[in-house]
Amino acid sequence: MSALTFTAIKTTEQRVDMSPLVCHLLKDLSVAEIAAIELQNGKRKIRVDELFEISGDDAQNILIKNSYAKLDFIAKELHDGVMTVEGEIGAYFGMSMKSGELTAKGNVGLYAACEMKNGLLTINGNAGDFLGAALPGNKQGMKGGTILVKGNVGQRSGDHMRRGNILIEGNAGDYCGSRMIAGTIAVMGTTGRFLGYAMQRGTLLLWKKPTLSAAFNDCGSHTLAFLPILFKSFKKLDSKFAEESAAFNRVQRYGGDMAEKGRAEVLVKL
Amino acid sequence: MLIKLTGGTVYDPASGIDGQVKTLFVLDGKFINQPPAEMPIDKEYDLKGKVVMAGAIDMHTHIGGGKGNIARMLIPEDHRKDPVYRSDITRSGCGHAMPSSFTAGYRYAEMGYTAGFEPAILPVNARQAHMEMADIPILDKGGYVMLGSDDYLLRMLTAKKDQKAINDYVAWTMNAAKAIGVKVVNPGGINAFKFNQRQLDLDEKNAHYNVTPREILQVLATAVKEIGVKHPLHVHGCNLGVPGNVETTIDTMQGIGGLPMHLTHIQFHSYGTEGDFKFSSGGAAIAEAINKNKNITADVGQILFGQTITASGDNMRQHANHGFANPNKWVCMDIECDAGCGVVPFKYRDQNFVNALQWAIGLEIFLLVDDPWCVFLTTDHPNGAPFTTYPHLIRLLMDKSFRNDMLATIHPEAQKMTTLASIDREYSLQEIAILTRAGAAKLIGLDDRGSLGEGAWADITVYTENTDREKMFEKPDYVFKDGELVVVDGKVVHTTWGTTHIVTPEWDNSVEKSLEKYFDRFMTMKLGNFKMSNDEITEDGRGSLTAHSLNSIS
Repeated sequence: MSALTFTAIKTTEQRVDMSPLVCHLLKDLSVAEIAAIELQNGKRKIRVDELFEISGDDAQNILIKNSYAKLDFIAKELHDGVMTVEGEIGAYFGMSMKSGELTAKGNVGLYAACEMKNGLLTINGNAGDFLGAALPGNKQGMKGGTILVKGNVGQRSGDHMRRGNILIEGNAGDYCGSRMIAGTIAVMGTTGRFLGYAMQRGTLLLWKKPTLSAAFNDCGSHTLAFLPILFKSFKKLDSKFAEESAAFNRVQRYGGDMAEKGRAEVLVKL
Repeated sequence: MLIKLTGGTVYDPASGIDGQVKTLFVLDGKFINQPPAEMPIDKEYDLKGKVVMAGAIDMHTHIGGGKGNIARMLIPEDHRKDPVYRSDITRSGCGHAMPSSFTAGYRYAEMGYTAGFEPAILPVNARQAHMEMADIPILDKGGYVMLGSDDYLLRMLTAKKDQKAINDYVAWTMNAAKAIGVKVVNPGGINAFKFNQRQLDLDEKNAHYNVTPREILQVLATAVKEIGVKHPLHVHGCNLGVPGNVETTIDTMQGIGGLPMHLTHIQFHSYGTEGDFKFSSGGAAIAEAINKNKNITADVGQILFGQTITASGDNMRQHANHGFANPNKWVCMDIECDAGCGVVPFKYRDQNFVNALQWAIGLEIFLLVDDPWCVFLTTDHPNGAPFTTYPHLIRLLMDKSFRNDMLATIHPEAQKMTTLASIDREYSLQEIAILTRAGAAKLIGLDDRGSLGEGAWADITVYTENTDREKMFEKPDYVFKDGELVVVDGKVVHTTWGTTHIVTPEWDNSVEKSLEKYFDRFMTMKLGNFKMSNDEITEDGRGSLTAHSLNSIS
């Protein structure tokens, strides 16, 4: 069995809702049935085989090629299975993903991995705003699993995040970890303004010294025994976070956001 | 355009027709008894074996006004579960608990409803409410203007102004807000909340104005009667949802001194304090009081299980209940010192003792009120349940074995606290037609709606007889609005724009003198801007106003 492959043969002016093309929904369908599925495309509907050339047959291993930035909701609620996407990706990539492995080879748009439940999501390019956040109006963002971004991320990554890890090899935009309830965000590159804005609990682990608001207090330098354990848990990832040289246990600790519950921490590598 | 509807089984309580086979004629949107001789029939529908009723009227449904938009903003997760895509003739939107205005119109029509009345138009928000209702397709609209907690009225009462002055103010406000009735919500309580009172009994004084809810009800019910408005004062009473409020409700009925009064969502006002959980059914007592007091009518405000959102002007009670918010978020606010607003999402659960008993109390009231002209079918949309649950509710009323099956699934303690299982009554089709058509039209004071008789506007619903009443009522074969076919097999096939029903009682224009001073001193807008003009509803070419007759003033 080879990976079920969707190769985009054209691009559309309007956005495409890709949520029907996900492992658990295609499991028991024949290729002909999959070809006949209609995707919402702006205000019209478009058949899958109008937009994609389909090859392969293993619905538990889906590959999307030639993706472009208007394909939204790819791998929505992914439940077991492996999905890989080559090319640019639209908004809501891996939204509410429950388990399995999801990989983006290119850049992804807004709200990637929003309200993710579990699993591993890897983004080789950059991610847009609201990575791992809650949908507008909802109260809890990402609730579990791991997001690994090899490029940079936009603003408000981990907004309302509840649990899980977001690992960023590049830089993070403004409001990183805003309104976070709990969980961990690690950033190897720089962070923007308003870091941890209204953060309640949770950990921001930083390699570079951030600009912190007055609502975060310096709690001194510490040697934390949990950090080596945390880094050990990253060992199986294909990432800079897995390298021996990445690990450290000596940090400067800041507590905040005192305008909120104030039980969050920002740990900066010393 | 002459339409012939041939051979349907007609239920038209307004004309006293109960299940007779009858052919109906519609000429240019209105019923006629016999078409003029030799006039060709443009379109004939064969309705043999079908059930024909007037278009249904929802006399209490929150479909317009600011709180609807707050409710929409508060529960985006509910909307995401029910997106509505556009079609060639219908607009996109979203559904479930608080649907978008367009979706509300389509879904009402698809259930055979052709009119809905917004029960809580704040005078200061009347413009927004009418604008929003102008975006509800197919349905006729109208609203009751909310008075009773506005500072101007309370000042008048404190100053012991005479009834004539109050009558003028009520009539003036109805005209300014383009209303067909007057509603009072937790009389004086919304105002008392601002003076840090967290409850207000019927005879408890507002800490600032020294006015009791009983006095407010008395003057407003008198005003409504004296200016000739047919819809009785529409009352959302004190102590909504408080165990033991059945006493207050009965006291409210008796204390009004025989004046016509409509008690709304009375299920929420029918709770006793007996039993292990200090929460019991007052359904039987309330039904008995309605049976005895001929001046009283009520709609039920039935709850049905599932997620919904409660939106009410009663910020005092909504604030008290915010702890039950599910999901946990809520809004309470003052609105320009005129009234208040509270929005709290709710999830009614059949395994929750209180919710289960609320469900049973509503049904008890439906089944124990003898006269179907005195009780109306509502869920207080969206407070008890979204209006889309009406077919299910109709089945509960018409099908005893189904009702008892449902009863057997709710919280066991609640089953013990209700007499529902022992009630044998099943509503007939004619009685359902009274509750949802003829009775509602009569109560609101609509001259030419809710009837299939000569001269009435041709709002028609055609159903296929089915012993499963839920299936029957959720998917009418045809719905006509003003003689135009709008729904076929439960799907909108054509959209029209309904009219806005109002009344125009008279007032003495000198009332504006002191109002103008008051507006200049305290309000956020000038008197001239506060009053809505007719053009605001009609100038877009799709809205229209229909003024209904008043009772003759003796």
